[in-house]
This record gives sequence, C-alpha cells and structure tokens, in this order.
Amino acid sequence: MKLREIAYARSGDKSDTSNICVFPYDDSDYPLLVREVTEDRVATLFGNLVRGEVTRYEIPANAGLNFVLTKALGGGVSLTLRSDPHGKSFQSLILDMDIDVGSA
Amino acid sequence: MASPSLSIGCGSAYANDRLQPAFDLARSGRVQYMGFDCLAERTLALAQMRKLADPSKGQDERIADLVPLVAEFTDSGGRIVGNFGAANPAAAVGEFVDGLRRAGRTGVKVAIIEGDDVFDIAVHEDLELPELDTSTQAIRDQIVSAHAYIGAEPIVEALERGAQLVVGGRLADPSLFVGPICHELGWSLDDWNRVGEATLVGHLLECGVHSTGGNFEDPPHRVVPDPWNLGFPLADVTADRAVVTKLPGTGGAVDSRTARTQIYYEIHDPQHYLTPDVTADFSSVRIEETGRDMINVSGARGSARPSNLKALVGVNRGFKGVGEITYGGPGCLDRARRADEILRHRLATIGDDITDFRIDLQGWNSVFGDAYRPVDDVAEVRLRLAIQARTREAAAAAVYEVEYLYFGPAGGGGVVTSVTPHIAVTPAYIPRDRITTRVEVVTT
Repeated sequence: MKLREIAYARSGDKSDTSNICVFPYDDSDYPLLVREVTEDRVATLFGNLVRGEVTRYEIPANAGLNFVLTKALGGGVSLTLRSDPHGKSFQSLILDMDIDVGSA
Repeated sequence: MASPSLSIGCGSAYANDRLQPAFDLARSGRVQYMGFDCLAERTLALAQMRKLADPSKGQDERIADLVPLVAEFTDSGGRIVGNFGAANPAAAVGEFVDGLRRAGRTGVKVAIIEGDDVFDIAVHEDLELPELDTSTQAIRDQIVSAHAYIGAEPIVEALERGAQLVVGGRLADPSLFVGPICHELGWSLDDWNRVGEATLVGHLLECGVHSTGGNFEDPPHRVVPDPWNLGFPLADVTADRAVVTKLPGTGGAVDSRTARTQIYYEIHDPQHYLTPDVTADFSSVRIEETGRDMINVSGARGSARPSNLKALVGVNRGFKGVGEITYGGPGCLDRARRADEILRHRLATIGDDITDFRIDLQGWNSVFGDAYRPVDDVAEVRLRLAIQARTREAAAAAVYEVEYLYFGPAGGGGVVTSVTPHIAVTPAYIPRDRITTRVEVVTT
C-alpha cells in the first residue's frame, strides 16, 4: 500500500533544508508510520535529491513524524536551478512510499 | 472580572499576498489586532536591490493599496504590526504617513523599528556562511544585503508607546503576533512558556491560508470547501488557550489536520523551534476541534531564547536564465532528449561565463529526478534549461539556444525565456548583543 492511502504530509523550506511532516488520517496508524517511515527509507526514496542527512523527529502527542532533510534543495531555495526550488512537491514524493501494513 | 484576552488575525503571509481577505478581516470587527508578514527568504534581498536602484524604494510594494485598510482599522481602534519595511522601513513609514494624511487621518501613531539591517557587520567582520562553506570576507564583493531576524521586544515597546501601526524590516514572522499577545495579556518576554504559547499562535497565523486549508488539498483524500475563497486565520487568545478560526463564509477549513500540518511546518526539531523570542517546544501541543472551522490549541512550552540571532545574507550570483520548449505526441521524449544533447553542445560554445546549468524534462523528471517514475512514456514533455551566468549577456546567449530549438528537433513549440538577476540568500548567525533595535513613534 502507498503511504498516501493512510497519511498526509506537508513540506517546507529553510534555505537548503527541507522539512516534511507526515500524519496518519487515523491516529491508530501512528505506530505503523513509526515502524515503516524510517530515516533510511526516506533517504532511499529521495535518493540523490538529498545530499545531506535525514533526521526524523517523533511527535506522539499529535501522531506525527517530522523529517528534516539537509542539503536537500540543490543549494537552497534562492540558489538552486531546480524547477521546484522550495521542494513544495516533496510532500507528494514521501507519500509515494510503499508501506507494509501486515504484522503491525 | 473577565480574564484578559485579545483577538488577532493575519493580514498577509508574503510580499504578494491577496489583499481582499485582509480587508474582509479588518472590516469584520472580529479582531483587535492584525499581523502582516510580508517577507519570505529572498524578498529582502530583492527589496535591497530595488533600494540600491532607487533609495526611495525597497519597502513593501502594496502600501498604497493598504492605506485604506490601515485607515479604517485604526478608526475602529484596531492596531497593526507588519514587516512592511522590508529593506527600507523609513520609506514604508513615510508612505504610510503620507497616505494616511491624504486619507484625512491625523493623529495616528506610527512606529518604526530599525536595527535589523546588519550589512555593516556582514562586510566588516567575517561571518561564517555554513551553507555555502565560506564566510562573508571571502565573498565580500558579492554581498548585497544582510538582515537579522528581530523578535517581539521592540514591537512590545512600540505598542506600549501607543503605536497603532508598527512597521519594521525583518521582524520575525511569529514575533509579529507574539508582540501584541504578550503586550495585551501582560506576559513577560522572559516567561518562556508563555512566549512559547504566543509563538504557537503566531506560527498558526503567520502563514495565512496555510492554516485554513491552503496547500492542503490532495483529492480525493483531502478536499476543503471553496478553496477559491480561502479566509485568513484569526485567534482569540487568553491565558488558558487560543481559539483559532476564520471568518464565517470564507472558504477552506480549520481543523486538527490543517492545524497539524501548519504547526509542524518548517520548525525542524519540534522540541526546539528557534525564534528570536524563544526556544519553543511544540511537541506536546493539544488540538481540540470545538466547532465548525474552530480549534483550541494549548500546551506549547518554551525555554530560553537563542543567544544568536539568525541573519540572511543576500549574495549576488550574477544572472539566472530560464528557457522552456514543449514537445508532444509520439516520440516526444526522444525529441526532447535530442534537444538536450543539442543544447549541451551549444552551451559549451558560450564559455566560462556560464557557472552552472541544468536541463530537465517537465512531465518526466524535473521535480524528482529518477526518484519517481510511475510510467514509461508521456503524452508531452517540456524541456527546461536553467542556467547561472556571470553576465547578462551569457545568460541571454544560453536561453537563445532554447529559442533556436524551434529549428529542430521537429515539432518543438511554445518557447518562453527569461533572464533575471540572481540574488541568493544564505543564513549567518550573529550574537544577539551585537544587534541594537530602535523604536521611534511619529504621529500623522
């Protein structure tokens, strides 16, 4: 199953750092997100779009995961030649992750 | 006796935000205060370029259109805080004062906050620029601006001195709201938990329609009513909680989902969101839906404010050129790839003045590269060349090569090109005690 079926997200930018927060539609899916949407899997999904580190912050009070991706915007919003300099579309890429819903 | 409270709304979230939702809120009688955030990261550097070209410019470009709003809102006792100054707070105040006088408003107190311009520090000292792996002295000739993020302190001072309109330069986004909240509710600016709560409200209001269903829809999973008429958010703040909502009859939604996406937007570590006012902790925020398009938020905390202030340094990178051309139908991807090959040969003839370039195929790989590839063919594709060049001439020569793709491969159409100055901004950090703000109040 794609993450998009059970979760929503928003991405933002600060210079060359992207911030993507992810929440399940149903809070009871939060443990599934914690298990499946790991730093490693996000790093793999984004591949060479991200040259720095992927850090995950857990927000159990609001069933959220907040990902901080450094060196992720091609040098920074104002520096990059990318067509989506802010990484606004990153929220959609993270939701394309394949989720294993079995054996939760 | 009722506990102190205030109602505060958002009037703008960036330099080119819509004015109608701000007028609607100002005229609604629903809020006592409005905060206007007029700046994104690059806005100030671009404003500085306008100021260099004409010393009377560099302020927000909507001030003339906003004068009627300020006039009406202050008539009814309302007060406004905004970073309308951008690179030129004095010019912004001058334009507001002149406009208000022409509109027949005398006796309106207007405060100017200065001190955010740290250009002198940036060019005379050696500040690290961690994201560029260099320092200000190494690229001194390229530096066009430097502005530090200023917190709520001078805003509170201006309000204490009776200002009805407070105008600053790089006032930090949440601080535009933290100032009025702490002023009205009597919260001390070193009561870190209170400032954390005020910062939460500020963060929910500063991005405008991002809190009311903007940047949220993803059909069929997420849909909001009337997204063509999104209202700006407002908050009723007391010592216990903040109620966040929007005007009845406006589009969008305010619920726990829209709130979550905004609360954790661009804050990085949820336990340590750094602003000039506080190290805010949003990790335990509680959101309750209490009515249609209405939520209670509570539970933000805070600890001591950072000892350094963040500044954004504007760097002149020369010129940026962009050229695009579309290919459609059978074989469009192959023709676009041939065009890519032609461009690379042609760009090589332009020489060293091109410092960087990339070629993407929109509809195929321009946003995610190879990271997302759901299909193996497309109906149409738009080639996009983006280049950075030392000179305008080199940038123009490069994008001309996209225009010349009209002559092959076959069927390329719809060329659009542009060449613009390329101003980048990059962060630096300056000890707080090096930066002095000044508040002056004038009367129209």
